Amino acid sequence: MINRITKGAFAAAVALSFLVPQTAMAQSADDLINDANDPTTILTYGMGYGQTRHSALDGINLENVSRLRPEWTYSLADSRGQETFPMIHDGKMYVTTHAATMALDLATGVQVWKTMVEYPAETPRVACCGIVNRGVALYDGMVFRTTLDAHVVALNAETGEEVWRTKSIDFKDGYSMTVAPLVADGVLITGISGGEYGIRGYIEGYNPKTGERMWRTYTIPAPGEPGSETWKDGGDAWERGGGPAWLTGSYDPELNTVFWGTGNPSSWNAGLRPGDNLYASSILALDPQTGAIKWHYQTTPNDPYDYDTTNELVHAEIDGRKVIMQANRNGFFYVLDRATGELIAAPKFIEKVTWATDINLETGRPNETEIGAAARSGEQVTYWPSALGGKNWSPMAYNAKTQTVFANTNKFGLNYKAVEPQYRPGVFYFGAEFSWDWPEGDRGELRAFNPMTGELKWADSIAIPRYSGVLSTDGGLVFTGNMTGDFEAFNAETGEKVWSYNTGSGIVGQPVTWERDGKQYVTIANGVGAVYALFAGDERLANVPTGGNIWTFSVVE
Amino acid sequence: MIVKTARILCAILVLFGAPVFADDAALFKKAESTYKMFCSHCHGLKMVNPGTSSFDLRKWPKDNREGFATSVMNGKGDMPAWGDVLLPEELDLLWHYVKTRAGKEPEPFESSDAASDPVDDIKEQAKALTTTPGTLTACLAKNGGVMSARRAKGGAGMDYEVAAALAAELEMPLEVRWFESEQEEESTPIRENYALLAYEVCDIIPGFALYETSLSAFYNTRAALPRWDDKPAHLGQEFQVDLEPISVTDPYARMEMGVVYRTPEFDRDVEKISDLEGLKLGVEQGTLAGVLTLRQGTEKMAADAVTLNPGPDFLWQMEQGAFDAALVTIGAYDFHKKQNFVSTLALDQYRHPLGFNISVAMLGRKKAMRDVFDPAIARMIQDGTMAKLAKKSHHTYAAPRKPWVQAHLTMQTILSMR
Repeated sequence: MINRITKGAFAAAVALSFLVPQTAMAQSADDLINDANDPTTILTYGMGYGQTRHSALDGINLENVSRLRPEWTYSLADSRGQETFPMIHDGKMYVTTHAATMALDLATGVQVWKTMVEYPAETPRVACCGIVNRGVALYDGMVFRTTLDAHVVALNAETGEEVWRTKSIDFKDGYSMTVAPLVADGVLITGISGGEYGIRGYIEGYNPKTGERMWRTYTIPAPGEPGSETWKDGGDAWERGGGPAWLTGSYDPELNTVFWGTGNPSSWNAGLRPGDNLYASSILALDPQTGAIKWHYQTTPNDPYDYDTTNELVHAEIDGRKVIMQANRNGFFYVLDRATGELIAAPKFIEKVTWATDINLETGRPNETEIGAAARSGEQVTYWPSALGGKNWSPMAYNAKTQTVFANTNKFGLNYKAVEPQYRPGVFYFGAEFSWDWPEGDRGELRAFNPMTGELKWADSIAIPRYSGVLSTDGGLVFTGNMTGDFEAFNAETGEKVWSYNTGSGIVGQPVTWERDGKQYVTIANGVGAVYALFAGDERLANVPTGGNIWTFSVVE
Repeated sequence: MIVKTARILCAILVLFGAPVFADDAALFKKAESTYKMFCSHCHGLKMVNPGTSSFDLRKWPKDNREGFATSVMNGKGDMPAWGDVLLPEELDLLWHYVKTRAGKEPEPFESSDAASDPVDDIKEQAKALTTTPGTLTACLAKNGGVMSARRAKGGAGMDYEVAAALAAELEMPLEVRWFESEQEEESTPIRENYALLAYEVCDIIPGFALYETSLSAFYNTRAALPRWDDKPAHLGQEFQVDLEPISVTDPYARMEMGVVYRTPEFDRDVEKISDLEGLKLGVEQGTLAGVLTLRQGTEKMAADAVTLNPGPDFLWQMEQGAFDAALVTIGAYDFHKKQNFVSTLALDQYRHPLGFNISVAMLGRKKAMRDVFDPAIARMIQDGTMAKLAKKSHHTYAAPRKPWVQAHLTMQTILSMR
């Protein structure tokens, strides 16, 4: 069993650590690579560099899940939406809010240290979709995070003391950071947010020891750079061309390649920026040491829909081929060759997609319906899925053994009309008037489907869509949370809801599972807020109070 | 005031009509897009939100504008302050959006007392229209000579005095936005005035010359804003304002042109420009007065004239003996005399028939102010207050003359005045 082997490895590591306490306790690059195989730690965003969010743990399973109860709870003392991904190392859990970084005792949830994040009071103005933070990166005895005012910070993992702090850019021009950083090949990598503020997006590499910036790769090329030929306006649209990079990329150590998605080009008024608008709405393969783009794949050329391609890039091996997979905002599920970027499959993963009929597997380009041309010419249109996507940021899980993706999806569209944008630094730069096209009934669905065909295994429909991450386990379970506060477990095969517990505030966090002293635990942050709660105006959430906590559950005997 | 002839002459004849007033739909549209830009991502599209993550603005008391302004400008709880980003009229637009419940309810009647007498009622309506509650804000040119000039505290000049008197009429303090014209080809003083009003940088602009083109609303077009003190940095030169129709008061003074001469050399009885023949004349290039000198004088006069750059330096050159006489705006002469205590220049009795009445401009939708200002202006002309204010400002006063609005100028008109 995997569990036993890793437990043994862990025991050896513990023994070693007694001999050389300082260095051995610090996680190395190899630890990060091995993270997915060691259930006692969570060292990488998405539970492994491949971000599958699948655990081989089966201590909590279909037989005993009904006895799942809170083990401990920790108050985040914050009323914003909580999207933090909990990390675990050396008996501590590391979590974040926009306002603080915290280390908790893994056994009890008792706070070990808490370091506040100071940022100017006006910073929230440049956060389009929630005052959130998605968690830390761990490496070499340090905890790394980003701040809303676009700084990158390193803290001592033992004490919480600040080791260094580097300003990435001036937030007043619409730039912010909510991303959990990634450490790949010894380089600390972050991406910028602000796609609705007329920014020019980028991804950056930092030296984790010093905080020195090693590289910055703009996602929108300047005139003359490769890709600039896809900005045909002949003017300066590229300067405010968007392409943010606000979700954590994945990493393949064998290919030594980082995969990072980019957001929509801006403004939304695509008629003003003719051309494909690279590298917005694209998947980029990067060299972690230099930031050089190895290959790119664009999902929605000349995107007028706000179809970010930032969503997580999950690794799998399908038919012996290394792939990355993404459930894109635009309603299509992309499967690409990890080494070359070649498109392998792109089925729909939701029912209703009106902007395109399919993706041409030869050219890699969408076959758009008449909606696209109408939208670009300034006509009033309605398209599905909406700007919030067939799936929003909340990450999916992938069980390689059953070749099943589990993802929270949306069932609504957008009424849209492109208008002339007016640029003011740090203020919305939409270039479109819009409102929601709500369906009669449910607006969301947790879907289990095949990544190559999109074939649905099961779906759990829900009135208010879920914006929480998904976790799948070898216990035959799928965990997620809903906006009204239920932390839920589903039978991975049938979709039957087998357990739920109301945490007292809506959930938009990311569930994780881990093992301590041979026992399995599940952890989730609750705390309603972020993009749907803020933007959708769903009054059914009126009785769901704010307030974030870290909840850890285990099975009682 | 320098009027650029080229612009006057080239302007297409536009018939003067009553200014069109912004309708409620246009106001609401502006309010809605302002709300979307600044508020929607926390308070929901159309203000619909569950009221948990952020305040449900549909519950904000409609009579608490002040509290609303404080929260928006300074921030409240989790909400960031917007004071350094929002422009005054954007706050107004947001308040309009909130108090009409995103346009779903009519604007609440805000008159303090329905039974009050009608004059007070008009005044109350006018007072409620100011951009900054409780204050009348005027835009005045920083470098306006005897008409307007900035002082360490307050200001001076005829237009400033009129603005102060009108503020007193509303029982409000006066606040001035001192602006500086951008001397760009794209912008004209009139378009800048429209932009300042449309952006609600101020409520009123005194010194607004009445001629057909100045009143033909630049509706559905955009214009750049001039610079003013404390202009937010993000409003760059490329920033364009959607213009709105304006409204004007009855005029309070008249800008005229007269003949200025050097004291010892002048012995003429001037009735028309051509009477100046034989004198060495100065022509202020590119100004209306300059064109009139050249076109309404004799050919010999034109041949003998000295053409010089416009500006304060022009009369100084005359002082130095560069020429003997010139047709200039009275305001320019007044300013020269004020700046040069010892001067050999004098102003003849003659006034050129062409002149511009000046009035106070405001947005069309603020025309309730005009209803308060018009009687006050009439009274102040009548009882000599205007003349006193002019004297205080070292300005040679001329009362407005009918027709209030100068008809469109063509070369034909100018030649016919010979």
